[in-house]
Amino acid sequence: MPEPDTETMTELPELNPVIHGKLRLALLSLLSTVEEAEFTWLRTKTAATDGNLGAQLQKLEEAGYVEVEKKFVLRKPQTLYRMTQAGRQALTDYVQALKQLLGSAINV
Amino acid sequence: MNVNHEADDLARQELTARLSLIENMIAEGRQKTESWGWTFVLWGVAYIAAIVFSNLGAPITEWSTWGHHTLAWPITMISTLVLMFGYIGLIGDKGGKQPETTMGRAIYSMWIAMGISMMIFFIAAGISGRLDEHIYIAVIGAMLGTTNFASSMILKWRAQLFTALVWWTAAVVACFGSLTQSLIVFLTAIFLAQIVFGAYGMISERKMLAQKSGAVHA
Repeated sequence: MPEPDTETMTELPELNPVIHGKLRLALLSLLSTVEEAEFTWLRTKTAATDGNLGAQLQKLEEAGYVEVEKKFVLRKPQTLYRMTQAGRQALTDYVQALKQLLGSAINV
Repeated sequence: MNVNHEADDLARQELTARLSLIENMIAEGRQKTESWGWTFVLWGVAYIAAIVFSNLGAPITEWSTWGHHTLAWPITMISTLVLMFGYIGLIGDKGGKQPETTMGRAIYSMWIAMGISMMIFFIAAGISGRLDEHIYIAVIGAMLGTTNFASSMILKWRAQLFTALVWWTAAVVACFGSLTQSLIVFLTAIFLAQIVFGAYGMISERKMLAQKSGAVHA
């Protein structure tokens, strides 16, 4: 039975499971390009359902990666999402880890 | 061994797909879905309408840019402004407001600043009686040239650079040319830099929207 390659295993980074979800990753990537975005804009861009989008945004909020602001504009409710510094850092780390993993996969 | 190799391939494909997703979403976020081509067409039509209204009743040989009815221009410009913001409010409610970006704010700021400058200048110059057709076209040409040039630099859009050149040409001709020459160049500039450019912008925006990607699932 061959021994596992412990050196490679310890060197390769783990992917952040909060960001790894497709929709959450898409949302963080979108939010990284703007100062703040409305729920409706995020829905249009991702073509996700309201329920799914709300659930994934809540997970990102719980992780501290996005901030939510709810307000009324001309008596209409408006929900704005902003990426936090922690979210930006997490996305940067995720991309680095992804590139590292892909690099190692290509090198194998 | 083959199973391991296939698993590695699948994992690699998934990671590559994640990386592509990030790139696509960043490109999608930066892409403007707002449509601005129509505003150029609207203002082009408004300028022509103002010229026509201000000359209503005058013989064709006495047509001029400023015209014979001094209220025609302010009324047309204010009506166009109301129409534009009313429509922006309407489409904003339908499709969700475009989020603010530094680039977007830079461009809006320039156009708003230009609009305010024009309004202040033309009201003051009009009331003081220091406004004639040559100055009128020259100032419009210079201001629109400046704003279009700055916008084209920010957006790296050559077509808009062309509109800046058209407006600057109109400004120079208005200073040196006769009234008839100035009016012809002014109308040509409106047609090329507002109506044709606006229509081109609208076509480009429609093409971009048609290329939009599909749904992203969790």
